[in-house]
Formats: sequence, structure tokens, C-alpha cells
Amino acid sequence: MTVFLASIGFGLVTAAVLAIASVGFTLQFGVTDVLNLAYGAIMIAGAFIAYAVNQAGTSVWLGLAVAVAACSAGSVLLNSGVYTPFQRRGTSPITMVIVSLGMTLIIEFSVQAIAGGTGVSYTMGQGRTFHLGGLILTTVQLVIIALSLVIMAGVHTLLRYTRLGKAMRATAANKNLARNCGIRTSRVITITWALTGGLCGLAGVVFAMDSGSFDPTSTDVFLVLILAAVFLGGPGQAYGAMLGAAVIGIATEVSAAFIPADYKYVAAFVVLLLMLGVRPAGLLGARA
Amino acid sequence: MKFRTLAAVLAAALAVGMSACGSSGSSTGTSTGKSSGPTGSTLTIADVAPFTGPDAALGPTYLATCYGATMAINNAGGVLGHKLACKTVDTRGDPADAVPAVNQLFATTSSLALVIGCTSDEAASVVPIINGHKMAMFCMTGQSEFDHVVFPYFYRLVPPDLEESYAMVAIAQELHYKRIALAFGNDIGSQTFIQPAIGALKKAGITLTTNQTLDLKASTFRTEAEAIIQSHPDAIMTEALGNADPTLFAEVKQLNGGKMIPIVATSAAISPPFFKAAAAAVGASTFASDFRADNLVTETSGPAYQAFSAALLAEQGKVPGATGNFTTYLSAPGGVHLYDGINLAALAMIMSKSTSPSVYAPDMITIGNGVPGATVVHSFAQGAAALKAGKTIRYEGPGGPTSFDSYHDSTGIFQVDTYSASGAVNVVGNLTADQLRALSG
Repeated sequence: MTVFLASIGFGLVTAAVLAIASVGFTLQFGVTDVLNLAYGAIMIAGAFIAYAVNQAGTSVWLGLAVAVAACSAGSVLLNSGVYTPFQRRGTSPITMVIVSLGMTLIIEFSVQAIAGGTGVSYTMGQGRTFHLGGLILTTVQLVIIALSLVIMAGVHTLLRYTRLGKAMRATAANKNLARNCGIRTSRVITITWALTGGLCGLAGVVFAMDSGSFDPTSTDVFLVLILAAVFLGGPGQAYGAMLGAAVIGIATEVSAAFIPADYKYVAAFVVLLLMLGVRPAGLLGARA
Repeated sequence: MKFRTLAAVLAAALAVGMSACGSSGSSTGTSTGKSSGPTGSTLTIADVAPFTGPDAALGPTYLATCYGATMAINNAGGVLGHKLACKTVDTRGDPADAVPAVNQLFATTSSLALVIGCTSDEAASVVPIINGHKMAMFCMTGQSEFDHVVFPYFYRLVPPDLEESYAMVAIAQELHYKRIALAFGNDIGSQTFIQPAIGALKKAGITLTTNQTLDLKASTFRTEAEAIIQSHPDAIMTEALGNADPTLFAEVKQLNGGKMIPIVATSAAISPPFFKAAAAAVGASTFASDFRADNLVTETSGPAYQAFSAALLAEQGKVPGATGNFTTYLSAPGGVHLYDGINLAALAMIMSKSTSPSVYAPDMITIGNGVPGATVVHSFAQGAAALKAGKTIRYEGPGGPTSFDSYHDSTGIFQVDTYSASGAVNVVGNLTADQLRALSG
């Protein structure tokens, strides 16, 4: 029972990290129409940028800010330098997936070439450990959860109450129609890459903070969890991604309390398949 | 349009999950198992091991050895007019990646003379291939499947994994631990320790509190750590390389009120990258004070050790991928024993006057086991000089005396290692053969 309760708390932390990453991923996909599988590689690049800043003797939180900015800029460059030229040539969506897969390897191996293949950790404390009725969470984990909630609220505000958010939703729904209605879709797309790239960098750093140790390949499996959360919620649905992240994150950790822990991701995917069996478009996909 | 993309996602995601499949650091040219190239050409020693992935620390450890050994051999005049060079073949610690990488090695390396590495991660898949190419190999695998199977070109200077499991339990006994938790990675190399360890724990009267398998690709092990803590062990026996063990240690410490649970690890934990990652995760002094590992007994003084340490330390700063305290490589099991393997092979080439493994490999046994009246030598230079003088030799390197059996296995005895807070390795005890025998199945 104790392990079960604790695992729910751990699941919340995993869900918080996953939510930040999944919301960025699904927004990016929904608005830009690019299934950017290089997202995980950019995440880990962000984590290593923060590590470099941290190793220079400064706070990892400053590193987080630098990583967010760098990944934001990097994502815009990735789109303008790689994806857009392919899209202009009429490259099919499936080919774009392969292009993004290629970028994954290029980015990941580049990070590896620079940082080496072995694990590193941020120089930071985890703060006090709080026991909250069976849940065991550190200060840093509580900050990650709070950060995630702030990001979710921010995304909600952006999408519901700002002109940019409405333009993003319009572009996601129908790019041509949005353009004909006077929305500068190319600009919206560029801003989306910048915003989601920033979220990607943020997700990478909190992912690395949450892990005791990370290396250039650490997000390989995590990307699959991101995809699971995105598909569970309904592709392109920001709120769906939040919900999907919560389900996948908690299912992963709670299952580890009852089954051999190396099968915990399998359990998460069983949940995904069962839910998709009931709602093939995802939990919130039908509302799209 | 978007729908088609979605259809491709799962397949692509799987591809990413397995990411970056099949990379190999190969660059030079090949082996027929008979060839060596013309006199004056450079012979290649291939380090077939993980350089990326969870076990990425292993490849550079062996490479450091290869650099040191070949430098010393080249400085002593080389082998039959050939210089030696090292080449990396990255298996990523995955049989699926290792097979194409090794095939590529043989397709592109005309001057191959010896293979080292072949860890438990990939040995089962690559040893038959290497053996099929009639190429001699010194493998760092303790897998029991090689205990009684004849691969004529397979040589091993490390013990079966089950003996290492017994050694870990013997350490737990010496420290009077009554309750032990197991936490091993889900890779082949780590899983092989579990059943012998469980059997040995039972024989030792030690309670197994929990057995957690760690997915080496996972980013956190909080639930596993909490399950371990809740089982109240005196110590954790573990081998989960890459980020897994450091992450587990950090989470155990965090969830255990800032207090580490003592660790008993395998010899694979004796490597600079492992220390660096673990020390970064929980603090160097904390890690050092709660850590023990079994390791094969190696010399720490005397002429063989002096030659070895001089050769290895001369390569400090030159070995790609080598991180952390370089002196730790002097105690790394792969470092010591593969150094001996390379020297045995090089001396056997001189003795047999051939760089073809099918010709020189039997002489590795002759030189390792020795014959009555043989001159004992402790370095390649000494051995080469003695052979030139027409003497028969017995090589005793820093790994101690060699005694190959009919399966080409030569296993040593164990010592207990700890780390200092700087990452230096300290020997704090020895385990006798009787201790291990008492724990065996």
C-alpha cells in the first residue's frame, strides 16, 4: 500500500514532465502539420545546453532559461532550414516523418560527439523531501509539478484568450481557410515553432532534473511516451495531451509497483491500446 | 493527409525507440583470419564493445588498454615488422546492432589480427561470427554458455558470471549483511547474475528482500527505489550500467531520507565513467563510503604492473571517450586482462612467426600456461627479447598467472574494491576460492 501511494506521487512527477513535452509536441504537430520526431533529440540537446551552463558554475535554473531560448531558436531554424524546404517541394507527410527521423539521429549523434556517450548529472540539490499522506516528493519535484501546471494554464490562456492562440487554432483546423481569412499562417507557424521549441527545451531540462543521470540517448524511450500521451489525448489536442500525459505517467509508475518494473512501459501501452480501442480518435480527439 | 502521417507514426516511433541503430566506428580494412598484410603494414586490433548506449563506459575502458598495449608493443619494435593499431567497433551493447557492426568490420578490415571486447551484451551473437572468420578474440564475457562450448578462436581471461555472483554474496557475508535487495539491469549481461546470486544468497542464509529489474532505457526508478527501501535491505546488490544505477542511487538516497543504502556491485562498476556518473548523482564521498565491488585480483606492484601502468598512463588524454579519473583504468578488469590478452597474442605471433590466428593462437596457450623451464616474462618487450634469444617463455602480466583450460578459459580469484572520494580504486580485501565454493550451486 505504501509503495502504491508513493507510486502515485511518482506518477504525478512523470506526468508533469510528460505533459510539458506532450503539449509542445501536439501543438507543433497540430499547427505546423509536421510530425517532428526530432522533438526528443532537441529535448536532450536542451538538457545538455543547461548542463553546459550548469558546469560553468551557474545555477541550473539559468541553464533552463538558456536551454529554452536555444531550443526555441533551434526549432525555428530546423523548420526554416529543413522542414519548410521539403514541404515546399511537395514532400509527402510520410517522407517528412522520415526526414524528422533523420534529424533525430543527426542531432542525437551531434550531442553525443560533443558531450560523450556516458551519463552526466546536474550539480543541484533536490531540496527537502515532503511526505504528503503516502506521497513522497522533493522540493524540485514539486517545482516541476508547479511549473507544469503553470505551463498548462499558460497554454490554455494562449489558446482561448489571445489572438495568437485563435490564429493557431484556426491554422491547425484549416490552413488554407485561415490564410483566406487574413491570418498570416506562415508567421503563425514560425511563432508556433518558437513556442513549442521553447517548451521542448523546458521539457528536456526538467526531464534531466527529474532523472538522476542522463545521456544523449536518454529521451529515446521518452519520445515514445510522448507519442503515447499525444495519441491517447487525440493528436493536435493540447488538452488531450495533458490528459494523456497524466494517464500514461501515472499508469507507468503505478504498474511498476505491481508488476516487474522493467515492464512498466508495457503496462502504459496496454492502457493506451485499450483506450484507443474505445475511442480511436483519442480521449478528446472527437471534439476536434 | 494528416491521417496518413499518423499511420506512419507508430512504426517510426518504434524506430526512434530503438534509435540510432547500427553504428560502427569502423574505418580501416579486413580480415580473412589468415591474413596479416605485407611486412611493415599495420595490424589492427578491433575493440568490439559498446561505445554508446547504457554500457558505453565499456568500450573506452578496453580502448584505453588497447592504446597502452599497442603503444608499448610498437615502442618495443612491433610484431614481425608490423606496427599495431586499435580500431573501435561500436555494438551499442545490443546484439541487433553488434552483428552488422562486426560484419562490417570483417568486410572492411584487411589487416585485422585480433578482436578484444565482445562483452556479455553482444558475445552470444558475435562470437560465432568472429570464430567463423577464424579470428582470435579475447572476450570480456562471463556468460556460462561459453563455459563448455568449444569455439577454437575464443579466449577468456575473466571468470564465469556465476562466480562473480558468488563473489558479491561473499562480500555481503563478510560485511555481515542479513538482508539483500537485488537491482539488476534488463540487459543480457546483467540478468545473467541474478539466478546464481539468488542461489548463493540462500546458501549463505541471507534473506532476499526484493528483486527489481531495471529497464536501462527508463529515465527514473522511483517506484523501484521505494520498493527496495520498503523491503528494508542491509545492502543492494546491483549491476545496471549506463544511467540506471546512478539514477537508482540518487532516488534511493532521496527517498531514504538522504541516506544511501550500501551497494555491492560487480566488477563492471570499476570504471571511471561509472564512478563519475554515480558520484555526480549522490555525491562522491557518499558514494565512496557505501560502495563495494568484486573485482578480479590484479597486481598493484611489481614489474608487470609497472610496465602496464607506464603503458596505460602514457596514453592519458589520448583515448577517445575516456572520461573521469584515468588511473581507475589501472584497476578496471577489462583494462588489465585485455592488456594481457593483447600481449599474449603479440608474443604468440612472434613465437609462431605468423600473424594468422589459426597459426599463432595455439601459442597463446603455450605462452600463457608455460612449459617447464620457461623464462617468466612480465611485459611484451621482455618476452620479445627472450623469444629472440631462443628461449621459451611464460607470460605473467598484471592480471597474474594464466591457466587456460580446454575451453580457453583462464579465471582468476577475486578481490574487494572500494572507491576513494577522488575516484581512485582501493583494494580492501580478497575472496578465497573456498569462500566461493561454499556458495556455489
